[in-house]
Amino acid sequence: MKIKIDLALCQGHSVCLSEAPEVFDVIDQDDGYPQVRVLLENPPQELHERVMKAAKYCPNNVITVLED
Amino acid sequence: MIQNVVASVKLPPKVSGEKQGSGHMEEFGVNFARFMMRCNAECGELAEFNMGGQQTVLMSGPEAQEAFFKTLDLKLSRAAAYQATVPVFGKGVIFDAPPDKMKAQLKIQVDALRYQNMKNYSTVISQEVEDWVASWGDEGELDFLDEFLRLTLHTATHCLLGKDFRDRMTEEFRELYHALEKGLQAIAFVDPYMQQPVFEARDKALVRLQALIGGIIAERRASSHIEYGDALETFMAGTYTDGSQLTENEITGLVIATMFAGHHTSSGTATWTLTELARQKEYSAEVSEELQALFKSASEITLESLREIPKLEAFIEEVLRLHPPLVLLMRRVIEDIDYNGTLIEAGKTVAISIYGSHRNTDYFPDPEKFDPYRPKPDTLFAYIPFGGGPHKCAGNAFAMMQMKAIFAALLPRYEFELVDPDETYQDDLSAIVLKPTGPCRLRYTKRT
Repeated sequence: MKIKIDLALCQGHSVCLSEAPEVFDVIDQDDGYPQVRVLLENPPQELHERVMKAAKYCPNNVITVLED
Repeated sequence: MIQNVVASVKLPPKVSGEKQGSGHMEEFGVNFARFMMRCNAECGELAEFNMGGQQTVLMSGPEAQEAFFKTLDLKLSRAAAYQATVPVFGKGVIFDAPPDKMKAQLKIQVDALRYQNMKNYSTVISQEVEDWVASWGDEGELDFLDEFLRLTLHTATHCLLGKDFRDRMTEEFRELYHALEKGLQAIAFVDPYMQQPVFEARDKALVRLQALIGGIIAERRASSHIEYGDALETFMAGTYTDGSQLTENEITGLVIATMFAGHHTSSGTATWTLTELARQKEYSAEVSEELQALFKSASEITLESLREIPKLEAFIEEVLRLHPPLVLLMRRVIEDIDYNGTLIEAGKTVAISIYGSHRNTDYFPDPEKFDPYRPKPDTLFAYIPFGGGPHKCAGNAFAMMQMKAIFAALLPRYEFELVDPDETYQDDLSAIVLKPTGPCRLRYTKRT
């Protein structure tokens, strides 16, 4: 699994952070909205389900999950 | 895509029917969504019309709409296009704030929509729905345009200003809010400061509302140990980049701005959703079955359980396609731009029509047909009920959660039917925010 992020769409709602804190963090910026940061580019199998949920429930379609 | 202009000669084609002095203002005022569909049909992707002296270029189709959404604020300004909101939200708030402060305020607004608050809001909304239906009895008839305006005013004030304020909500507050609403009508987008009784009433209402909400802020600052879990708490805790807090009037302004963003949009969508449920019997039976299986009692309505209700979601999405609450969006052109070889000059306004985009037959064949199962377009910029790009409506998750919470509580218990002839339930396209023409009477019957 690979995670792709479109930061132009991120408003820092933090749904991903509550879903999979091992994989996503949300960082305050000096300017504008907080932005998601991916902590694990290739998350292990046991986190896949929660990463999928993070992508699905992101209100702004920021996260795309690419299957291997 | 939009680029800086080097040498451009082509200008956007002009729409016919312009009148001396007022331009297309009259036709625009009667039914601006239909007018914009005419512009697009006549001129194509770019169509220039005259709104009382303001040259406005309508951008149509996913490519032009993507350019509209993705062009930087520096070139296509929201602030300059939405100056009518300044006397409603107050000085120094959002579109009247310097760019860095505006960004900080919008960020603080999103902070109030994050996970922990959202959990509280879902509880608040289902409580409000319970209180609302408590007096319904087994059957009856209501004007749901009115009912949903009241329900969503209650949910909005409860989520924003907390339980105490909601419980003490006075007739005065309703009247003040209503006076501000009337201050944001179409003529305000031409000049919000002209001598008009509605604008005088608006200004008085803002001063009084600043005093009312300022009072709550002062009260809360004096008892800082209490946790509220509402948006006001988040707004009061928010800071600018230099660490300073928002002033009382700025906080009040954010409260008003958030109410305006969420109230009529939500009530219009709820009214249309219930009306379509009463009208589209085949689909509504499926939605009701889904909800009856998922929600046996009101206590099962939580942020988690509301996330996955596929049939209801598809139904609401189709409602938002046919009846998008915001029919058009605007920006002011700050720097000349070149859209695929056509010059759009600084000083003009650019607009997109969400209503028109959702009826584009390339993406939505047989567009007036209600079909929750129609295929999704392969672009993010054809179906745009919440806009798109970096400035997409930050309340979109809240709005969907609220809609689902309302119908998860209502549909397992009641069935709904149209009272008046089907064709009398129509879009009211004279207002800024779309809703059905009132009254919107529906009959409800308790399920056995």
